[in-house]
Amino acid sequence: MTDDTKSWLEQNTFHHSDFWDLRKLVEEKERKGLTISLCIPTLNEEKTIGKEVLILRSELMERYGLVDEFAVIDSGSDDRTREVASAYGADVYLAADILPDMGNKRGKGENLWKAIYQLKGDVICYVDADISNIHPRFVYGLVAPLIRCDEVKYVKAFYDRPLNYSSGLRPSGGGRVTEILIRPLFSLFYPELTNVIQPLSGEYAARREVLERIPFPIGYGVETAHLLDLYQEYGIEAFAQTDLDRRVHRNQTTNALGKMSFGILQTFLNRLRSHGRIDQLPDMETIYRQFEVEEGHYRQLTHKVVEEERPPMIEVEAYLARRKLSKQS
Amino acid sequence: MESKIINGEEILTKLLEEIPGQVERLSEVREELLANAVLLGEIPSPTFGEEDRIRFVIDRFRENDLVGPTIDDCGNASALLPGSDGENTILVMAHADNVFDHETNHAMCVSSDRITGPGIADNAIGLSSILTLPTLLDSLGLKLKDDLLLLANVKSLGRGNLEGAHHFLETTQRPFRAGICVEGATQGRLSYSGLGALRCEISLRIPGDYDWNRFGASGAIAHLSRLVGRIMEIPVPREPKTSVVFGGLRCGSTYNTVPKRGSLRFEITSEADTVVTDLENQVRDLSEEFSLESGTEVKLEIVARRPNCGIPFSHPLVKTTRAIMDSLSITPKVDPSTGDLNAIVQAGHPGVTLGLTTAENLRDENESILLEPLFKGLAQLIALLRAIDEGLCDA
Repeated sequence: MTDDTKSWLEQNTFHHSDFWDLRKLVEEKERKGLTISLCIPTLNEEKTIGKEVLILRSELMERYGLVDEFAVIDSGSDDRTREVASAYGADVYLAADILPDMGNKRGKGENLWKAIYQLKGDVICYVDADISNIHPRFVYGLVAPLIRCDEVKYVKAFYDRPLNYSSGLRPSGGGRVTEILIRPLFSLFYPELTNVIQPLSGEYAARREVLERIPFPIGYGVETAHLLDLYQEYGIEAFAQTDLDRRVHRNQTTNALGKMSFGILQTFLNRLRSHGRIDQLPDMETIYRQFEVEEGHYRQLTHKVVEEERPPMIEVEAYLARRKLSKQS
Repeated sequence: MESKIINGEEILTKLLEEIPGQVERLSEVREELLANAVLLGEIPSPTFGEEDRIRFVIDRFRENDLVGPTIDDCGNASALLPGSDGENTILVMAHADNVFDHETNHAMCVSSDRITGPGIADNAIGLSSILTLPTLLDSLGLKLKDDLLLLANVKSLGRGNLEGAHHFLETTQRPFRAGICVEGATQGRLSYSGLGALRCEISLRIPGDYDWNRFGASGAIAHLSRLVGRIMEIPVPREPKTSVVFGGLRCGSTYNTVPKRGSLRFEITSEADTVVTDLENQVRDLSEEFSLESGTEVKLEIVARRPNCGIPFSHPLVKTTRAIMDSLSITPKVDPSTGDLNAIVQAGHPGVTLGLTTAENLRDENESILLEPLFKGLAQLIALLRAIDEGLCDA
């Protein structure tokens, strides 16, 4: 691990408990004159949306004035998502009704993008609607680094994904798509971004001034595009990440993950092209980067993975001799 | 004397007239109440394992600026909401434990008209009402003269045997004008007496030298079944009201393996302590006899014992509670308690247990509460607090 990586990890990686004193956080937010909007994009989430709106609104708008605006932006659910969200006090919008002249595209990124137009806050926090163990930390853990640190522009969530606790040392990674697709790609092309422990997490908060200046893929690639575009523009210093402990949500099928990977790969290759890297592939990195955590400290693990190749056996002299074959031209 | 009674009646009449209008206003604070219920409900809190939930309670007491938030030696959390003159103290309590273990998925599901999840009725919503009580009173613009002592008591259910409530009441130095136990279910519940109860567990084990060739030899399930049959043959009097409830039978693990051990849980309740003692003696004799007859090891353990106690039906606290329920069109269901009320009454204080709302699937993982009746249940609680505060419930 380089000194820069270690320094960024230590300074820009938080735990939600670092921000337990919400009264102080609200005081700091008010002193800096910041306003915060919370956006939950939805599509058929009637089972979980009621609890999310109830808990987050009650705790973060009523009890503590951390959040100034609470919106659910819906893609056109055909269940009772909008009715339930509205019953618990969220401002509910149909994505199709926002910027109607721009048309209506179906995808989570569309709702996130339209939120920038519809909502008023200086900071926008996005939280997925399918979290069954929702807690106020999912919001204050993300907006707090933006309140505290003026240089931070974008905060990603990461979570405890219990894989192996037997030795007190455990891998701390992302989901399957992160580990199988994103982390290898970042290790090859954007090694610094491998410091982001869960690049695909659906919860993040950002300043309006950066969100309004980046394009939004409407589908699976939106989180990847954010990281790549903001990294290209501002470097790793613009990012922070917060450990939000455990997140319980629906498990996706392998088929769904395949579809997701396909969308993300399109976004990634598009960015390689726009960053001028697709025609001039750099020398391949041979260091693969993962994470482990021990007693609250995150450490990057590096593995040298050199994919050496053997020639076709038919080109090996000894093989030809053994098989009594002659060398073909 | 005459003028005091007339004055008391006038106060009660005025108070009752105000109640229906309060239901609507209380519903305006529903977000805080329900959010507390969901956050509490999602923290596992099995009896003897309530620490995390109690930590949440104490944090809420602090956030609400209550006086002296404390966790006592037994693990109970309490705090004081001071009244304007503080001459008397009213105890409002809800048990913090439930019957679900840490492994149960405690995720709550919130829909427009109900909340569903393990322990939401018993007793996350009851405990939430205690945490939210300062806000509920504020929303109605009420400031009581008496101090309110809010208590989240632990180790109440099952083997807990009301340990938390007993400990608190034995160690607290404060006399209470009255005590109210708040339960999520069921609206209309009115308990003012504690029923004499004995909770028993019989463990049966087949010893290593058991003679499987002798007549009648069988596994633990068959033995326990016979034992249940024998207990059921014990005559149970109708008067005084007495019952034996078999609540749990644990034995065996598969289809084709003869189990060697098992246990039986049951409760004896009676309006007469002597009947409880008599039944206990009969069960004890029966267990010993069965052990000798069957060649098995049978052990009777008394898990909890509660004497009969209570205040009379004519006590002003009970009469006023009924009047309040009547004004809200709540039909009282008078039911002796085997819960925390026993501890209050045994400590010499008048007390009642109230239920807040309608519940379904009690003590199942899909336990749920209906939200619409909840605010009537809260109006009933607040009206009773006001009546006690006005001295209308003093004997």
